[in-house]
Amino acid sequence: DTWRYAFEEALDEVQGIYAQKFKEEIEANTDHEIQLFPYGTLGESADIMEQAQDGILQFVDQSPGFTGSLIPEAQVFFVPYLLPQEPETLASFFENSKAINEMFPKLYADQGLELLTMFPEGEVAITTKEPFKTPEDLDEVKIRTMTNPLLVESYKAFGATPTPLPWGEVYGALQTNIIQGQENPMFFIESTKMYEVTDYVTRIGHNNFTTAVMANKDFFEDLSDEDRQAIRDAADAAFAHIIDYQKGLTEASVEKIREAKPSMTFTTLSEEERQPFRDAASEVEAKFLEMTGDSGKEILDQMKEDLKTAEDATQS
Amino acid sequence: MAAAIFSIMIVLLLLGFPMMIPLIAGALVGFVTLFGGLGQLETMIQQMMAGIRPASLIAVPMFIFAADIMTRGQSAGRLIDMVMAFVGHLKGGLAISTAAACTMFGAVSGSTQATVVAIGGPLRPRMQKAGYGDSFILALIVNASDIAFLIPPSIGMIIYGVVSNTSIAELFIAGIGPGLLILVLFAIYSWAYAVRNGVPTEPRASWGERLRAVRAALWPLGFPAIIIGGIYGGIFSPTEAAAACVLYALILETLVFREMGLRDIYRTAKSTGLITAVVFILVAAGAAFSWVISFAQIPQAILSAAGIDQMGQIGVLFAISIAFFIGCMFVDPIVVILILVPIFAPVVADVGLDPVLVGTLITLQVAIGSATPPFGCDIFTAIAVFKRPYMEVIRGTPPFILILLGVSVALIFFPQIALFLRDLAFPGEAG
Amino acid sequence: MVYVSSLPGVLGTFDAAIARVESALLAAGVLLMALNTVANVVGRYLFQSSLFFTEELNRILIVVITFAGISYAARQGRHIRMSAIYDSLPSRARKILMIVIALTTAVLMFGLCWFAAAYLLTQAGRGRVLPALQIPVWTTLVIVPIGLFMTGMQYLLTAVKNAISRDVYLSTAVLEGYDDDETEV
Ligand code: NA
Ligand code: NA
Repeated sequence: DTWRYAFEEALDEVQGIYAQKFKEEIEANTDHEIQLFPYGTLGESADIMEQAQDGILQFVDQSPGFTGSLIPEAQVFFVPYLLPQEPETLASFFENSKAINEMFPKLYADQGLELLTMFPEGEVAITTKEPFKTPEDLDEVKIRTMTNPLLVESYKAFGATPTPLPWGEVYGALQTNIIQGQENPMFFIESTKMYEVTDYVTRIGHNNFTTAVMANKDFFEDLSDEDRQAIRDAADAAFAHIIDYQKGLTEASVEKIREAKPSMTFTTLSEEERQPFRDAASEVEAKFLEMTGDSGKEILDQMKEDLKTAEDATQS
Repeated sequence: MAAAIFSIMIVLLLLGFPMMIPLIAGALVGFVTLFGGLGQLETMIQQMMAGIRPASLIAVPMFIFAADIMTRGQSAGRLIDMVMAFVGHLKGGLAISTAAACTMFGAVSGSTQATVVAIGGPLRPRMQKAGYGDSFILALIVNASDIAFLIPPSIGMIIYGVVSNTSIAELFIAGIGPGLLILVLFAIYSWAYAVRNGVPTEPRASWGERLRAVRAALWPLGFPAIIIGGIYGGIFSPTEAAAACVLYALILETLVFREMGLRDIYRTAKSTGLITAVVFILVAAGAAFSWVISFAQIPQAILSAAGIDQMGQIGVLFAISIAFFIGCMFVDPIVVILILVPIFAPVVADVGLDPVLVGTLITLQVAIGSATPPFGCDIFTAIAVFKRPYMEVIRGTPPFILILLGVSVALIFFPQIALFLRDLAFPGEAG
Repeated sequence: MVYVSSLPGVLGTFDAAIARVESALLAAGVLLMALNTVANVVGRYLFQSSLFFTEELNRILIVVITFAGISYAARQGRHIRMSAIYDSLPSRARKILMIVIALTTAVLMFGLCWFAAAYLLTQAGRGRVLPALQIPVWTTLVIVPIGLFMTGMQYLLTAVKNAISRDVYLSTAVLEGYDDDETEV
């Protein structure tokens, strides 16, 4: 059969690389064929998610942050400093986390979706027009965020003025100084040319952009055991591939940006400098709990436990 | 399937069905064929909603509203009187000013539909009075507005830049050359039109009269100040500038000029809503139709049959132009960019074309497509705003389309038209 | 000119009332959109805080304007069409074609109304909420099936009007000919 798979990025961005590997594996190991639909070709994030729920698409990649309107608990990925920063710890976290591998699949199943995998897309960095090291430096700095209450809360807690703006307007708004900053993973800062309209990239280590790949549940359950296994294997192979692909991806993107714009300044805040931002996270946690109640608390607590396990496992 | 869909659409269109029906029927036939029944039509509704979701669309009703208030009140008249005081004695002066105003307004507002309304709205009656034919006026407004695609900021270029991983800053600069070239050619055509049709000129205004005209236009000059100063000065996004213009127009016409009352405002708002709805239902239906084309991978099928991977540089550029030109005749330009750019990307890299040149060429085709029948948002907007029949709006287009196609061909053979400024601004990238 | 329903009796009163509601929605939608957008700018500069819901509210308003507007536009005979061939036909053929066009359009509008209602119910079932406003997505779509239904009704009535009267009508209230200004409501 022909299976259709839509995602939120371009073909040569992280989600696209994952999708291509997944397609390659499926087509090598089964007699099915996969058509890929990159960003915008079948609609925005919420649209392709619905199309997957309706069974028009067999596979969809949607970042939990965008899933928040459907599965509020998924917004836990916007709570700052919840994910590990070391690549190895991060990989181990995603592979072994009980929250991700046992709790989230149930929440997705309630929405008619089979959660195949969640994977990190890279540390979120902040690009601005002026340098900053402390929350005070961000006073009156307008930073573009997605229209999401937790992100808005985060940047308020970081001392900035969060400014929700549609993505299409961000480049122009930075160019004309309506906003003075935005956040995204490094590869995305490079591919969307955000560096052309900002001058400083600062890594405060507050988050790692996470995404999720799902299959339509009815479709998945009606498959033969063999096909289901092939899909699971393809998802695992693509996960390994994407973790490997991302080794050095941030550095490679930094190199590309430096080459295109030598004046770009990169700063990584020290643990000490990060502390005030870390302290701000508790306000965001409170907001998350207020929005999601007991079920949110369960996930949040489990995530923290998983984080500790991953750290213990990889840093000893 | 593609052939069946397009035939049905053309037949319904020609029979005089409301324009939304060919689009809805085309999408409907696509859905039914793809999914073997009516089972997935909710997705059609979803895509119709998605079509009118982009935040940039908000600028359209806002500029329609502001322009309507200005035209019903005194603001527009005073601004045009001022322009006329300076160019009224020149052959084709008013037409050339209109083209220039469309280009400039489009450049800052980033919306070609908004330009059709904001500049075309007030200027069309004045051009008619001056003796220009209505078809010429309408075609000039629609086509000059589309130059805005090429002059920064350009949403089409931003999307192309992201999809193809090309510098948006370079694209912006590369668009200026072809954009100005088109403006100059339009100006020459306007002059020729005025001469051939004997459009009368006004007597040259004295400097005293000019000064008086400027003084009368002082308040309304706040509009260009809000739009140009506000957007380039980093105070507003284009959408917000549009809303600010509405507010300013309301204040001017009700409090300063005392030309309008609450009842007039209500009527103007309602008429704005009506025009918006008439155009946006087509945007919505068009989005559902685009989805079908994309889902069925129709462009991929056509292009692989055409054998694009065996063409040289010039061949690929022509193939790209034709594909985008035809695509934009039927489908929303943004969707065309998102679908076609990745398909062409490998070939563009293989033959070693400059992605900035390709992006400029694509943006030009998108601009032409938006003004080209049968489906073009700017045509729809002109019909809705000016209440003129479809045929009358497009009758005057052929000379403009010829100029635009001429510039496309020139750009293919003389890429320096686009790359000259880019190479000046980004010396490292040359070659 | 004031919009006078051409329908008889209670039906006419009802039709005129709906027309008034539609036009109020259109005007209010446009005015609110301007206000909302300007307020966001004011908030950003004076109070260092963007209105977090501006974008979502504008999106809701555009849906309201579009779907209240298509019915209103149908009533006023303002939908865009390419009438070159149609206009060249003799009056009797135009009348028949107009009845066919109006009936087909009505059927398609009723069909879309059905699927819009189904889409709305699906949304309600999934419980999606708008991220900033935190209100259920389906509530923002209520106008969609209603607008489509009212548009279908207008075209159905146009078909009837053409069938029972001598002249050719673009809508229940508007005779052929493009130049007519819209009537006031
Ligand atoms: Na522009
Ligand atoms: Na077109």
